[in-house]
Amino acid sequence: MSDVAPLDDYVTDEWYPGFKPNFEQAAWAIEPFRTFNKEDESRFWFLDFHWPRGMTPLGLIWCEDGYTWGSQLAAETLPLPPGYGVACRIAGTHIYGNGIDVHSAHEIAQRGARMARNLPPILQRFPELWAERAEELKSALHYFENFDYRQRSLAGLWQPLFEARRFFKRSFEIHFELMYPLLVNYIGFRGLCQELGIDPAEIGKFCQGYDNKILETDRELWKVTAEARRLGISDIFAANEPENLKTALQAAGGNAQRWLDRFDEFLGVYGYRTEGACDVYLPAWIEDPTPPLGTIRTFLQKSRDFDFAAARRGAIDERDTAVEVARSKLSRAELEAFNAGLDSVRHANFAWWNDEHNFLIDLRSTLPLRRAALAIGEAAGAERKDDTCFLFWPELRDLCAGKRTWHSFRGIVKDRRDYYAYWNARRPQMPKVLGTIPAHVSDPVLIEIFGLHHHFFEGIRNAGKQVDTLVGVAASSGLVRGRARVLFTADQLHRIEPGEILICESTSPNWTPCFGKIAACVCDGGGTLAHASIVSREYRIPCVVGVGTATLMIKTGDTVEVDGGKGIVRVIR
Amino acid sequence: MTVRWLEALDAESLPLAGSKMNRLAELARLGLAVPPGFVVTTAAYRAFLDASGIEREIDARIAALNDPRDVDALTACSVRIAERFECAPLDDALTCAIETAYDELCDRRAALALPVAVRSSATGEDAAAASFAGQFETYLGITGAAEIVSAVRRCWASLFTPRALGYRKARELAHRDSPMAVGVLELVNAQASGVAFSIHPVSGKRDRIVVESSWGWGEAIVQGLVTPDHFEIDKGDERILQREIRAKTVVSMFDYRRGRVVECAMPVRLRERASLDAEQLTAIATAVKQIETHYGYPVDVEWVLDRHRRAGEPITIVQARPETVQVATDRPAPTWDILSAANRYVFAKR
Repeated sequence: MSDVAPLDDYVTDEWYPGFKPNFEQAAWAIEPFRTFNKEDESRFWFLDFHWPRGMTPLGLIWCEDGYTWGSQLAAETLPLPPGYGVACRIAGTHIYGNGIDVHSAHEIAQRGARMARNLPPILQRFPELWAERAEELKSALHYFENFDYRQRSLAGLWQPLFEARRFFKRSFEIHFELMYPLLVNYIGFRGLCQELGIDPAEIGKFCQGYDNKILETDRELWKVTAEARRLGISDIFAANEPENLKTALQAAGGNAQRWLDRFDEFLGVYGYRTEGACDVYLPAWIEDPTPPLGTIRTFLQKSRDFDFAAARRGAIDERDTAVEVARSKLSRAELEAFNAGLDSVRHANFAWWNDEHNFLIDLRSTLPLRRAALAIGEAAGAERKDDTCFLFWPELRDLCAGKRTWHSFRGIVKDRRDYYAYWNARRPQMPKVLGTIPAHVSDPVLIEIFGLHHHFFEGIRNAGKQVDTLVGVAASSGLVRGRARVLFTADQLHRIEPGEILICESTSPNWTPCFGKIAACVCDGGGTLAHASIVSREYRIPCVVGVGTATLMIKTGDTVEVDGGKGIVRVIR
Repeated sequence: MTVRWLEALDAESLPLAGSKMNRLAELARLGLAVPPGFVVTTAAYRAFLDASGIEREIDARIAALNDPRDVDALTACSVRIAERFECAPLDDALTCAIETAYDELCDRRAALALPVAVRSSATGEDAAAASFAGQFETYLGITGAAEIVSAVRRCWASLFTPRALGYRKARELAHRDSPMAVGVLELVNAQASGVAFSIHPVSGKRDRIVVESSWGWGEAIVQGLVTPDHFEIDKGDERILQREIRAKTVVSMFDYRRGRVVECAMPVRLRERASLDAEQLTAIATAVKQIETHYGYPVDVEWVLDRHRRAGEPITIVQARPETVQVATDRPAPTWDILSAANRYVFAKR
């Protein structure tokens, strides 16, 4: 069976109102980023869950420097034998992606031989390699985050912007350089486990319970919450909407001000993160603390603090028990293979690195670019501080070089803001897949991270029908019933009330604080290695991913029952 | 020589004793525990065919069969032949020899009337014998010489079941090339019985012993009437890798009134109780490993746990044969190597 989802509605050669790229727009490794053309219909495209808001013009740099440079370069360098990395397109402002297949058997064999030389040493020295890369990232972030953009002329801001983009690009070279080997390692181990007859729902547990920077952030967030409770300022939180909280706390003075000082200390360490991955349009907490303040506000509604120590102990106990149970069923010969594989995936642990790298890369490496772009806007006399996010790279270059004035962009920026808002509102209706839909996908990366397995395609086919039972991937075990809260972006995360069941397209690292208050998590996309799957196991809540169309079938307020061990979601009507 | 004691068989005895009894005698010589008993040899079978004159009639009936897939014709033929085996006169000397041997078996076991198992033991190649697995008759719990003789006649007749007739017809094999011997063995007082494999019969894994077990005698398992308990034991260190206790609803038990082992409902209190403990499993694994090592290829074994066995004593083996069907799926134990894992599980086209 191969259905075609027509993409006529999205065919255009204009990236945004008033912009068509030149040939030299950006470098790419294998296949450039562009808009859809009719020929793309013969290929398969899926809606990328990472960017549920859509992308602004400057944000589209991600497509150029992340997917079509970083992923394709890494797929060439390792190399991945059957794939050239990720290709991407936009429909309106929304990103669609897919893997690029290598078709020549001869080339696949040669790439296989090269991978055989490169992969084992990378995995063997992974901790050292990551330490080196993390050091490089931290030192660059330190440089950029302390960079003084004030006092610079418009012309003088081009160079810092250029440097910031170079760093952004470099951060994704590192991202994919390490992501692919870790994925191959984990998926290989997963395959071994399945051959050994180990229950697939158990395999994810073997790598859980290792602390990372995002969990550390969540823990600190609960600490400042406890501090607010202790200082007796919960009422101020309850009485104010998140966006007004900072002003209200400042106005209250006394303990509230003391708490704000403590909160600023927290932001100084953990505040350099955005409410979404790799999107220059998003401010960091340190720029706009509404998201963490909103989260603390809902944390305070819970009668008790989330017990991280207990969750961590639970995750570790569950991990160790799962490993012991698996071992007890393996013969001596199998045990040798299992232990060696387990050593390998723990030494180079995707589940751990996933959020560890997010702290330094996905949630952070756009910030230098954003600060430079905002400084340009200020110097150029832009109306709103993030207006420059609606310009493309060559336009910013012309602006800095004095070839064009800010005045000449005013109308364009307005049109583009409208265009962005239009597509943002259409997100829930965007097709999950476009082009020629395959009967199944065999690329394990697409299956395990993006969740393109048979449950997902089944969910897509059932879209529009009234279905009370949704089936997906059993990502984290447990059975719970509760009120559904359907969210499309993280912007409303602080609205989730404790005990609700989160229904979303997919989660990103910026969503993790809410895992301390939700009862379960259900995602349209994702596999066992998806962010929601990994984090749910750490937080020990039930999770089902790759359901296909949960965000369409379930409405906020519905009562749903989530069986994370079986991968089943029931809507109780 | 129409009757032979098990311990009198040697490496040359296959044509006389059939493969089942020949192998049992071989296991006894290895030191494994097998039930004592004797074999009514293929010579006795041939003598019966010759003396009774039924062979001519059998041949005529078989010759009249046209289509080896015509189940009705095969069944009719089989029924007629069975009637002849039941009624045709038996040589007094053979009846006498069986009586004498049975009396001696009773004397050896100090029993007045020892219940025995009467088991068909076909000759011919192993593969063919394997494909008839379960086809040739076994009678459990027979007592007295007259009953034994009657059971021997029925074992002989089982050489002419519809399926055996069809099999030979399709391959143009002559029944006289695979004459039937019959074993008469003490019926072990079975607490539990079952089968064991030195290779996993489904996955082909060679690193484990698979044991299926239920209460009472093994017929209910062999005939597939009961879902047995399932165990897997590491072939190396004998750790129990899997232990699945199933609801066992049917049992083969000794019916004293009828003097037979019969199938009936399992008492509720035994249904979900484990039919073997760890020590008993180890004894089975030890025996199976020894048998596999001796033959040099995977085997399946029928075993019985004697009610009077004490911990540390060997398990009783009542049958062993090569696991011919499954050898094809023999699979090496997996190893961890990131590159082969990548090629097998990550980049293989599925």
